[in-house]
Amino acid sequence: MADDMNIETYLAQGGVLSNPSNVPPRYRAELMKMMATFVDSELAGAAGFADIINKGPGIKARIAAAKIVLEKSDSAEKVLRIMGDFGADTERYADHHPWTARLERDADIGQTRSKHDMRLAVFNYPLEGWADAVVMNLLMGSAVTVQLQELSHVSYQPLAEAFRAIQPIEAHHAELAAEGLMVLAETPEAGALQALADYWWPRVAASFGSGSSHKFEVLKAMGLRHTPNAELKARWENTVTAVLDKAGLKPTA
Amino acid sequence: MARFHDLEVTDVRKTIRDAVVVTLKPAGGATEEFDFTQGQYLTFRRDFDGEELRRSYSICAGRDEGILQVGIKRVDGGAFSTWANTELKAGDTLQAMPPMGSFFTPINSAAETHYLGFAGGSGITPVLSILKTTLAAEPGSSFTLVYANKGVNTIMFREELEDLKNLYMGRFNMIHVLESDAQEIDLFTGLVTEEKCAQLFAHWIDIQSVDTAFICGPEPMMLGIASALRTAGLSDGQIKFELFASAQPGRAKRKATAVDAGTSANQTKAAITLDGATQTIEMGKDMTLLDAALENAMDAPYACKAGVCSTCRCKVLAGEVEMVANHALEDYEVEKGYVLSCQAYPVTDNVVVDYDQ
Repeated sequence: MADDMNIETYLAQGGVLSNPSNVPPRYRAELMKMMATFVDSELAGAAGFADIINKGPGIKARIAAAKIVLEKSDSAEKVLRIMGDFGADTERYADHHPWTARLERDADIGQTRSKHDMRLAVFNYPLEGWADAVVMNLLMGSAVTVQLQELSHVSYQPLAEAFRAIQPIEAHHAELAAEGLMVLAETPEAGALQALADYWWPRVAASFGSGSSHKFEVLKAMGLRHTPNAELKARWENTVTAVLDKAGLKPTA
Repeated sequence: MARFHDLEVTDVRKTIRDAVVVTLKPAGGATEEFDFTQGQYLTFRRDFDGEELRRSYSICAGRDEGILQVGIKRVDGGAFSTWANTELKAGDTLQAMPPMGSFFTPINSAAETHYLGFAGGSGITPVLSILKTTLAAEPGSSFTLVYANKGVNTIMFREELEDLKNLYMGRFNMIHVLESDAQEIDLFTGLVTEEKCAQLFAHWIDIQSVDTAFICGPEPMMLGIASALRTAGLSDGQIKFELFASAQPGRAKRKATAVDAGTSANQTKAAITLDGATQTIEMGKDMTLLDAALENAMDAPYACKAGVCSTCRCKVLAGEVEMVANHALEDYEVEKGYVLSCQAYPVTDNVVVDYDQ
């Protein structure tokens, strides 16, 4: 058969890895980080949303919120299972951190992560009531949808498959949020929505990361990324601006 | 968390000169854990001169066969595969983790699916498991196998595949592509490259009817085939890969420590606090804090053991440690004295660390 090719060259040419036994250390590190970020964000997101369920106006809204909590936990588990293939103690991992923990509403942390876990910075901010949760879920849900479209092509096949399965579920969460927003837009609370959108917009936008091209090139060479952050962010802005517009809201400049 | 189990070796037989098929039986009632899905692999571990090696080998048995079998081809300079090919015998015990891997698609007995498999050399093992399982469990499905080898005498499972061809006549087609042995048809000689695939799709394989493709072989072959499949219109979701690199990365070698004046031996006294209790242990400086804690029956937290997930974080209260990798802690945390214990080696003769802070 053909001669051996080193893994780095293989990955740079679009090769796919399928099990932990042949991932190079640096690749493993970036992959684990990517997975931990997703798992922690989903667990933190689900934990934050769980407290919101009872604030939902009516049973349908509460069912939607409960479904989101359930499915985000389920998505976290799918990816955590892959971390388990790399030796992670998955049970301990899921329980080692108080996922409900949040910072102050006005904490200014930019893109930095908390000291304790890998959740995206945006999941460190507390939700204040139903309308707030709907707006956050709309903006972040749309962002996750765009990000998962990108991550569905990662070069680690089991993870790509997990993300492909998760992506439509997350997209549906954003749709539920869009429905929720339209309902809120017809209520006396509508006036407060723009301020909430303005609060979450920059925080969600930060989750796309910086434009740091070096890091992107490193990940691209490993097949872990394909589209630059700025392009993904622009994609998100377009989608979410259209939804906000329907509810009579504006994107934050 | 996946754990290692004992497996009894019930049979070892040669399939070609430098490859064996090993039949295994879970010992100690772990039968359920080894209930595998076609295309999965087992990860074995064995101690070679004090160094633990872990190697993964695909299961070659079909789901319905009621046996657990892996194929192990000898790799030049490969300690595990050489040992398996020369010394392993029936009656021995091997240790393996339960089956892992997602190199399969779900079985649907009503399906009328056309599968296309590509195998290079020992890459046949998971593909064989898949084709045996699907042909038996999906009576309406068909399987086309393109099997690449150096020559006729290096074809693993050659007779078994011929038998399957007779058993599933009309549903199982096989094309042998041989690198060095000439065949009647020119196309079947040489390497399986992107161009060769394109020619196969033009003349021999109805690529439009293919629902799922499986590829297992060396890297360049996989790249070429995948590229040809994409050109032919298959999506990423329709192409399943399995790659076992011959150069499997081992543990990162620790860099040699300079001998500092004032440090007498290669030993450190470490006081480790966990869950409110402090244990003082003697440990080598070539060992991580996490491993030292685990070896002393402390239930220290960890997840990735790669310096990534930060589950193993602890705080250094006294003494100095060296972190060889850090992909999780921010600079300000490191300044506060936090380290990833899975990556931290003691430098001074005394260290005090705390997992509770």
